[in-house]
Amino acid sequence: MKGIFSVLVENQSGVLSQISGLFARRGFNIDSLAVGETENHDVSSMTIVSTGDERTIDQIEKQLNKKIDVIKVRRLQERSCICLEMMLIKVSYTPSNRGSLLEICLINDARIVHMGAKDMIIEIHAAPDEIENFIELVRTFGIKEIQRTGTVALKKD
Amino acid sequence: MINGAEAMVKCLEAEGITKIFGYPGVAIAPFYDGLFDSNIEHILVRQEQAAGHAASGWARISRKPAVCVTTSGPGATNLITALATAYADSIPIIAITGQVDSELLGRDVFQEADITGAAESFTKYRYLVKNAEDLPRIFKEAFYIASSGRRGPVLIDVPIDIQKQEIEDFDYDRIQVDIRGYKPPKKDGNPQQVQKVVEAINQSKKPLICAGGGVILGNGEEQVRAFCEKTGIPLVHTMMGIGVLPKAHPLYFGMLGNNGKPYANRAVDQSDLLIIVGARVADRAIAKPKNLEKGTRTIVHIDIDTAEIGKNLGPTIPLVGDVGGIFQTLTKENITVDTSAWLDKLREIKTTTVDHRKFSDEFVNPITFVKELSARMDEDAVYVADVGQNQLWSADNYIMKSGRFLTTGGMGTMGYSIPAAIGAKMCRPDKQVVAVCGDGSFQMAMNELATARVNDVPLKIVIMRNHYLGLVREYQYNTYHSRYEGVQLYDTPHYDKIAAAYDMQYIYVDDNQKVESSIEEFLAMDDACLMVCEVASENNVK
Repeated sequence: MKGIFSVLVENQSGVLSQISGLFARRGFNIDSLAVGETENHDVSSMTIVSTGDERTIDQIEKQLNKKIDVIKVRRLQERSCICLEMMLIKVSYTPSNRGSLLEICLINDARIVHMGAKDMIIEIHAAPDEIENFIELVRTFGIKEIQRTGTVALKKD
Repeated sequence: MINGAEAMVKCLEAEGITKIFGYPGVAIAPFYDGLFDSNIEHILVRQEQAAGHAASGWARISRKPAVCVTTSGPGATNLITALATAYADSIPIIAITGQVDSELLGRDVFQEADITGAAESFTKYRYLVKNAEDLPRIFKEAFYIASSGRRGPVLIDVPIDIQKQEIEDFDYDRIQVDIRGYKPPKKDGNPQQVQKVVEAINQSKKPLICAGGGVILGNGEEQVRAFCEKTGIPLVHTMMGIGVLPKAHPLYFGMLGNNGKPYANRAVDQSDLLIIVGARVADRAIAKPKNLEKGTRTIVHIDIDTAEIGKNLGPTIPLVGDVGGIFQTLTKENITVDTSAWLDKLREIKTTTVDHRKFSDEFVNPITFVKELSARMDEDAVYVADVGQNQLWSADNYIMKSGRFLTTGGMGTMGYSIPAAIGAKMCRPDKQVVAVCGDGSFQMAMNELATARVNDVPLKIVIMRNHYLGLVREYQYNTYHSRYEGVQLYDTPHYDKIAAAYDMQYIYVDDNQKVESSIEEFLAMDDACLMVCEVASENNVK
């Protein structure tokens, strides 16, 4: 199963390495990890997506809670939160297939942020599965490079 | 105005610290200068690891945090094993390390080691102090973190310039600890979960308590004992749980696990309700937790650390809280279980389970020795067992009365017993303290005989000498068809000369007939004494 954790941590050096170290040490998966400051400068927020069986996901929550630099751990359900990810993807094109690539971008609400002679950089914000889907759609054009931010999530209510 | 180092000393004084164990160096020199004018006595060990183990021994006896201190770099890294040992056994220690100048951090200067990074997985928490003004708050937090919730070591790394920095004001009493990410569980546990436990007990016919080291660390022995006696529920324990019930207690059914009593394991197998308290359900106690989950047995897991519950074993009823508080509550509840038939059954199991292990009577039989020694020790004596066959013979055969049995059950750190015994004896000079080790573990820590000698600690040490790293030898015997590699210790050193070198009395016993008289002579002695007890090398634990 998938576990999405929204984790508030002390914004100080070494905390990210503590959290990633915890996952590495105990053999937990990290599918994605996104970190940023919150409205308080001394608090950072992490969204960590992991997969594992129920007991593992439970253990992750408990082990995170045990960390003194972790202020709060919330486990989010996909259906009750907004999960978004941003991706920059550099895709090759030719004059003949450029039109269909632009069409795919238009349908998927993706934006072209840079246009080169042979490739373009496309920006897309979407749910992680939609991002996966978009990658598949443009794969035949030739993907040169991808940068993804990892999932960020907020609970709706 | 005082400087950071003086503030550190004042913090320790305010926490009631009277002795600290350590090893100086340049990066911690300002702190040592601060100690010069303090009543806190510094005990110089002979290697930093021993400072950690000695603090551990002290902490386990005083049941309060104890302090060790080292310099930066190798001083700090030498301490890691002791920290890992204390962390695995949940022992409250405050470790202070010197660090290079904060301006130079990260530049790989002389004796710089990233100790807060390195100790991350071996400590409950770590501080790298960046401003001397923070020192009083950090010390107060460190003592609070180490001694609350699940106990554990806390490291404070202080760069030398921070130790020298002057601070404006120092008012330790005024500091309120408020750590937003650290709220130890409430004392008494969730009332609804407590009720579920009561119902489970009343519905059971064959309830059994499995007590771990957490019962002792949480100062809950009395409450668990009172609960057992009121309800008639029998008890088994892990190695770290030795001492929750005395061996002669009618509800006592031994140590479980692969180094424990076979009848204790059978008791676990046959129970219909297993109440695990303050135990990690680690592999040496319960080899196959999945087997326990099968069937209809109800499992209650009580622990102060939420993360221990469900880590290795999925309990039916989890209960988070302090052992003393929870068992005090449980004792007041209306528990109606009748265990008389179950106790009859357990007594039958105990008498009919045949122990097939054979021990050689050549030289001294190790089993007889541990029984004879512990039987003659004071009621409230402290027995410090090292690691190896000596530890397992000790744990299995020690006759627990009302004293303490200290060992490193979690990490299994060889060389623990001598420094830990020094710490224990310095904490309570009125108590009889005996360290029991093997010839392997003794040689890992024998430099600390000097620490004991110089500080007039009348240490009593037994070496169960078999000329081998016995437990590894046993493993090679069982697993690798006696292809012994790297396990022989031969006949050195000459222990009589070691004893003489450190002004210790010396007793040698290699004959079963002389065991009793030797032990009596050993225990009666006021001086420090080294007793070598020769055992046959082919003796195994199993």
